[in-house]
This record gives sequence, structure tokens and C-alpha cells, in this order.
Amino acid sequence: MALNPDRIGREFYDELRRHYSEEEIIELGAFIAFNIGYHTFFGTLKFYPMFSQDAGLVGQEESARLYGAAPASLAGVTK
Amino acid sequence: MPHIEPLRLDEIRDPELLALIARCEALGVPDSLFPRILARVPAHATALLRALLVSYAEGTVDHRLKEIIRVQLARTAGDAYFAGLRSARAAKDGLDEDTIEAGSGKFQDDPRFTSAEKWALRYAHEMYVNPEKVDAAFYDEGRKHYTEAQIMELGAFIAFHYGMQAFTRTLGAAPLRRTDNNRG
Repeated sequence: MALNPDRIGREFYDELRRHYSEEEIIELGAFIAFNIGYHTFFGTLKFYPMFSQDAGLVGQEESARLYGAAPASLAGVTK
Repeated sequence: MPHIEPLRLDEIRDPELLALIARCEALGVPDSLFPRILARVPAHATALLRALLVSYAEGTVDHRLKEIIRVQLARTAGDAYFAGLRSARAAKDGLDEDTIEAGSGKFQDDPRFTSAEKWALRYAHEMYVNPEKVDAAFYDEGRKHYTEAQIMELGAFIAFHYGMQAFTRTLGAAPLRRTDNNRG
């Protein structure tokens, strides 16, 4: 949906129906859509988790250092 | 038909959801198709339509500017459904199709837009085309034109609508009605 929306057509939805009800497909689609929209927005605001992985409160600069300035999974995908 | 069949209105029982769908239909965005698809999961439909209407039709940023941005975003997302819909309220308030078109074109050089409107149009365009350009300096420029509350209003509106448009693109949905002003 985010990177190759042309690959999601009728056949793709037919395949989804083998695994999920139509209600679950709508639930998944809306959830994914919400995340596509908001994570890019959040990324422009440059804020980071308030807590480190051991649950300690950390400042934003420290958090950026701990978690990285960009999501590792998208490091090779984003421009 | 869209890849997920919409419910018929008489299959929807939740009065709040029916009221939200009626409000969407009166506004023209969305028509009843997308809400009736979402209505397969009533709790989600109610929350999403409420958020859609709050972000798009309420707040302090001019609804006409949001309408121009919404169409620009739908074109960025490649979503024919939302790109083809038009707000009845924005039209009543004087927004014409040429101005909507201009918002998806070279708006930076277009004298019909104020500096504030150009910043907002750039915000929407860059968010999903060149997000790295939406940086601290960009937000500093935005503060010359808008309050921080208005910038959040715009950002949340842009994020929500782009996300929904990415979804409706995959559903193969099309506006229920097509007019000369619905060029998509």
C-alpha cells in the first residue's frame, strides 16, 4: 500500500479473503492507512520515544542517539 | 464495483454512524461509498469518519484551502476516488475548479495564493514526495504564517487524508456521481 499500491488489486483482495473476513480486511486496511499517513508526519516533527529500552526517561537528543534518526527498516528505501 | 462491497444504508444500524454518513454526503466528501465500505466495521467507521470530518471541516484553517490540499494529496496518492470528490461547502464559499487545479500545479508562482497558502500547499506536497524537506527551517517558516495549533491542524489533516487516500486507491473505488467539475 505504501510503496507499490498498483500491486493491490482485485486478485490481491481475493487472496486476502482466503485468510481474513471482509471486516478484518477493512480493519487492517484502515490501520495500515492511518500508519502510512501519520508516521511520515511524525517523522517531519523529529520527535523520539521518551523512554529508553530499559524504561528509563531520556531526553530527545539521547533518544535519537539510542533509536536512530531514521527507522532502520527504511534506511535503504527512503529518499 | 470496489474490491470490498459497501453495505447498503438499510444494513447499517448504528445511529451515530448513519448521522456521520449523512454529514459526509451533505458535504460531498466523502460520498456514501467509502463510509459504507468502512461500515463493515462500525466502531472503526465511526471513529474514522469523525476524525475525517473534524480534520477537514472543523478547525481554524480555511476549509477552501483544505479542499485544495485534499485534491492535491489525492493526486499524489494516485487515488481517483477522493480526487474526484468536491466539497459542496467550499464551492458555496467561492472555491472554483481553476483554483483547485492551480493548487496541484505550479502554485509557488501563482499570485492567487497568499504566502501562507503557498506554505500550506508546499507542506502537503513535500510531506509525501520529499519528506526530508519538511525540516526545522520549514516549520520555522510555517510559524510566520500560522500558529503552532494551526500547523498541527494542517499536519494532522494532511496525514489523515493521505493515509485514507492510499487505502481507497487500493479499493478500486470511484465517486458515486461524476460532474463536469469532478475532473479527478
